[in-house]
Amino acid sequence: MDKIRVLVAKPGLDGHDRGALIISQALRDHGMEVIYTGLRQTPVQIAQAAVQEDVDVIGLSSLSGAHNTLFPKIMDELKKRHADDIPVVGGGVIPSEDIPFLLEKGIKRIFTSGSSTESLANYIQELIYPKDSAVTSPKKISHIGIAVTNIDKAISFYTDSLGMEIEGVENVESQAVKIAFLKVGESRIELLEPLDDSSSIKKFLDKKGEGIHHIALEVDNLERRLSKLKSEGIQLIDEEAKPGAGDSQIAFIHPKSTNGVLFELCQQAEGSEE
Amino acid sequence: MTNNKVNKQENDWKQSVDSTIKRFPERKDLFTTSSDIEVDRLYTSKNEADLGYPGQYPYTRGIQPTMYRSRFWTMRQYAGFGSATGTNERFRYLLEQGQTGLSVAFDLPTQIGYDSDDIMAEGEVGKVGVAIDSLKDMEILLNQIPLNKVSTSMTINASASVLLCMYIAVGEKQGVPLDELTGTIQNDILKEYISRGTYIYPPKPSMRLITDIFEYCQKNVPKFNTISISGYHIREAGSNAVQEAAFTIANGMAYVDAAIDSGLDIDSFAPRLAFFFNAHNNFFEEVAKFRAARRIWAKIMKEKYEAKDPKSWKLRFHTQTGGSTLTAQQPDNNITRVTLQALASVMGGTQSLHTNSRDEALSLPTEDSARIALRTQQIIANESGVADTIDPLGGSYYVEELTDRIEVEVNKYLDRINEIGGAVQAVEEGFMQREIHQNAYEIQKRIEKNEEIIVGLNEFKLDEEINPDLLKVDPSLEQAQITSIQKIRSNRNKTDVTLALEAFREAVKTSDTNLIPYILDAVRAYATIGEICNVMRDEFGEYTGI
Repeated sequence: MDKIRVLVAKPGLDGHDRGALIISQALRDHGMEVIYTGLRQTPVQIAQAAVQEDVDVIGLSSLSGAHNTLFPKIMDELKKRHADDIPVVGGGVIPSEDIPFLLEKGIKRIFTSGSSTESLANYIQELIYPKDSAVTSPKKISHIGIAVTNIDKAISFYTDSLGMEIEGVENVESQAVKIAFLKVGESRIELLEPLDDSSSIKKFLDKKGEGIHHIALEVDNLERRLSKLKSEGIQLIDEEAKPGAGDSQIAFIHPKSTNGVLFELCQQAEGSEE
Repeated sequence: MTNNKVNKQENDWKQSVDSTIKRFPERKDLFTTSSDIEVDRLYTSKNEADLGYPGQYPYTRGIQPTMYRSRFWTMRQYAGFGSATGTNERFRYLLEQGQTGLSVAFDLPTQIGYDSDDIMAEGEVGKVGVAIDSLKDMEILLNQIPLNKVSTSMTINASASVLLCMYIAVGEKQGVPLDELTGTIQNDILKEYISRGTYIYPPKPSMRLITDIFEYCQKNVPKFNTISISGYHIREAGSNAVQEAAFTIANGMAYVDAAIDSGLDIDSFAPRLAFFFNAHNNFFEEVAKFRAARRIWAKIMKEKYEAKDPKSWKLRFHTQTGGSTLTAQQPDNNITRVTLQALASVMGGTQSLHTNSRDEALSLPTEDSARIALRTQQIIANESGVADTIDPLGGSYYVEELTDRIEVEVNKYLDRINEIGGAVQAVEEGFMQREIHQNAYEIQKRIEKNEEIIVGLNEFKLDEEINPDLLKVDPSLEQAQITSIQKIRSNRNKTDVTLALEAFREAVKTSDTNLIPYILDAVRAYATIGEICNVMRDEFGEYTGI
């Protein structure tokens, strides 16, 4: 994968470039190549620099209120040079009511004050390498977790009445649970029984009784997905991936951010058949 | 320190209080708390007496013997937007509301010496301040404002010489003698290279303009503060409190050096040097920063430059609350931030204060927001009681320790800058810029990792954003301003303008002619800011950053 080349530009006369400099450094830290124009660039200079430097993305920073004049001019200059396929994003002190106008003029997205550099970097990454992106659909439902008080008692319904096949039963001491996997087509049902009072499943049963505990989605690129979710303010139970069953990596998303559903994201180990 | 020396200081201070009160009677005969406890003028501990007294070297506890017991700080709100007419109305509104000084914000073309119809000005006219193209705009801006009664601060740097001349010319038209004009021009070009980017010429000719202003004003406009050495923008660009104080003081020393090199006597210009600091949220650190800066400057002026006049030792400063600390999210929270910052400035002994408006992370302030910001100062002054005693945090173990620590850390930076060869050299090498940028990036990373909590931004967020009414600068204003400047160009006496600009160009080509009288002649003939600055662009060249 080639390094993404970004032109960070300061159009107009405003000399406050703290934001532009921070973004330049943050994008470099995310492995991108950044060309910063310096201050007081005219729309013509910015469009020319973008073409000459053959950049993948242009980031414009403006704080003086001149964005509604200058940003569209830059779009026009790019068009003149047949370079309007270069995506342009903007940021700075930009009132929300100006954003629809700028989007209509072809700016891809406006990042206002308080946006994290992480979310900008992720956005650019997705824009340029969408296949590699963190927001491709999860591959499948890996399994549905169901909390039960006693696996031995519950399991006969699944095997005898529904005719499902037990794939395996194991104790996960770190979580203080005993689990049983039952295969259903390409997915599974996971039964979870608490081993002691410290188990989160015990707390779940005390509060809600038996029933669906979580849905696990199988994904690629778990780490990047987590950092994207985090940058969007999604509350995570696990901010970093932790080891799950069978060399997989897993992380839970807090139900507060998911309309009340506990989601697990899991990524199978490379080379795994699953 | 011996007891005798302490007693002498105390006696000296008491005598200076008596003479000060004769000139500036205290606001009340008796200051009391809300429970009727009498508030003393000053609290001190004999053991801590090496702190000195207010109005005494090294001024840790303030530069005046009575501080706010005689007169509150100047409440000087920074304002300006759109046209001279609109800004003049806002000024008169603020003066009616009890503001005691004016502070003018200029738009970027004016600050960078472009006329409103210059291609470089496109989209920027009247946006972050008022557009001033010629003396005509200045006349409108100051219409019905008596320049012998109101002091005016102008945030103008690269083109300060031109704006100062316009101000002088309006004073002449109002019939105000030059020695009655009071105010401040920011005129601090070094911090523009470091942090704000509003420069025009390279450092050397820029420093010449500054020393020309020092010399001209000393002779002709003696009550004008000829420079406001500004840490404000250094802090906004991302420095910490120590770097803000250190780089500002280093720049101050560079101006002193330049003035001495141009042949001026230290005591002839140093009393007119003013400073401008920022106030962020870390309350005690901010208070300590102001106290330390005062002490460091006093020592430098007395010991290094051997200034004899005590007025040369005093660091007088304006403060503005920290624009970059405000959030676009939940903007009303900014009122609380500004209150804390304003309180720190007052406890730190500021001479004048601008309080930011709650909506400034979104746009220029509305009239409502500007009024609340001014009221914040008025409440601190009149209701909180913090102005009733001098240096109320003096003697606090924490504040004294912080003051000492900041002094040590600032001096380390000053030593480093000295090793590099002074502030001008350090700026040219990008030393300060790198230090500030690194700190700014660290702050951003801490905020993104929630190691630093910003209420409403990374914690305590609301699902629905509150969008206040914002001030909108009328987009048709740019065209109106362009029409106006073109009208002025066609109506003025063209020969006068040509002659004045030619004479100015000849003066610029010399290395030792004071340029201010020539600029004043050009201004009087209604030469535009662009025409005057372009003469210097041709001769001095333009700075393009490093």
